[in-house]
Amino acid sequence: MAESTDEIVMENVKKGNLTEMSVLFERYHLRVYNFFFRLTFDMDVSQDLTQNLFYRMIKYKNSYKSEYSVKSWIFQIARNLHADYCKKEKRSGELFLKTEKYTVEPADDTEGFHEDEYERLERAMSDLSVEQKEIIVLSRFQGMKYEEISEITHQSVGAIKVAMYRAIRQLRGIYFKQI
Amino acid sequence: MKCDEVELKMIDYLDNNLDSGVRREIEKHLETCESCLDELKESQQILNSISKDEMVKPDDSLRINFYHMLHSEINKSEKKSKVQEHKPATPWYNNSSYRVAAGIALLICGTFIGLLLHSGFNASLASDELKQLHSEVSDLKKTAMFTMLKEESSSERIQAVRYVEDIDQPDQNVIEVLVRTLNTDRNVNVRMAAAYALSKFADQRMVCDSLVKSLSLQSDPILQVTLINILAERKEKSALKPIQEIIANRSTLKEVRAVAQNSLRVLI
Repeated sequence: MAESTDEIVMENVKKGNLTEMSVLFERYHLRVYNFFFRLTFDMDVSQDLTQNLFYRMIKYKNSYKSEYSVKSWIFQIARNLHADYCKKEKRSGELFLKTEKYTVEPADDTEGFHEDEYERLERAMSDLSVEQKEIIVLSRFQGMKYEEISEITHQSVGAIKVAMYRAIRQLRGIYFKQI
Repeated sequence: MKCDEVELKMIDYLDNNLDSGVRREIEKHLETCESCLDELKESQQILNSISKDEMVKPDDSLRINFYHMLHSEINKSEKKSKVQEHKPATPWYNNSSYRVAAGIALLICGTFIGLLLHSGFNASLASDELKQLHSEVSDLKKTAMFTMLKEESSSERIQAVRYVEDIDQPDQNVIEVLVRTLNTDRNVNVRMAAAYALSKFADQRMVCDSLVKSLSLQSDPILQVTLINILAERKEKSALKPIQEIIANRSTLKEVRAVAQNSLRVLI
């Protein structure tokens, strides 16, 4: 069977063939979950947000415009969901109190990642602004090109590069101050 | 090149995104500027830390919840499209499924009134009558299911399948009809509903076996995924063979194969 592109699958979903959403779920849920997890460092929250994202994709399927790639659209929704979550967290005053420990199960059983290195990165990341975190997560954790990030965040590639450079510089400051 | 210029190009330099001329200029600067060299090393260490980071695996409940949500959204949209189909609406009492539902409602009311009138009844009598009432409702639901499964519209057939979910102990007859629906209904959503209904009774050997058998009959990706998930959740070893066949089949969708391979970890 020829592999359908995300865009063809999404057009079918728009036509009312909702079962095709399962294809997009299988293609994207791991990436989306990890996007949320790198931003929130909370497994339950990431799970809820991921669940919510696929619900929104179905509910607002008609707002998908073929001028964007489905991938960009998915991450645009993901950013919105994360922004809503931050607003809610801020209201309940918990945003900066989240330092609790978490356990991590790597997706593959290949060589592990040092727990303390994780924690250091996590603490350094949590001091960045939301915009900076998003750019780092999209570009570094998700391996996206600056052009793709530009489609998601509606910023120019140049602006993203500068933001990236500032984010890494700030991260460097926090990360190496910790030692 | 000056320090601030080098700093701006540092990430592109580390990512190997610069042409050789610019690279050489930066390297020349780094030979003489210790602070830029330190910055470069630190940036590299951070980028390495990040790239060493692995994808975190979500809990299995994410997939299960997604498929439940999808299932109920499909049902909702089927219902909506059915309402639109029937714009010049026939009176509700002419619709056979409503007639059956009304019959059930009448019977329940009637029996309760009967119970109320029976003012002197003792506790054991009450529980006997309730038991009988319960079994009568079960029978009616069964009848409703058999009638509605013959309906033209898929949403009514889905509703029919759902009646079964309320029956505590479905008999062989009901199970056979459900299995036939799972394997032969022309609408994928009805087949999905049948798969979910059957999964509730998968403790019965016969039900579990027919789910396993159905796996090799289904070619629709969503049904393959649904069945694999149901059987993997139950750690059903006999599903191993059909799952391996799905993996080996060249026409299997990549996403289905991934789910199938994932399930092997539980089953082997």
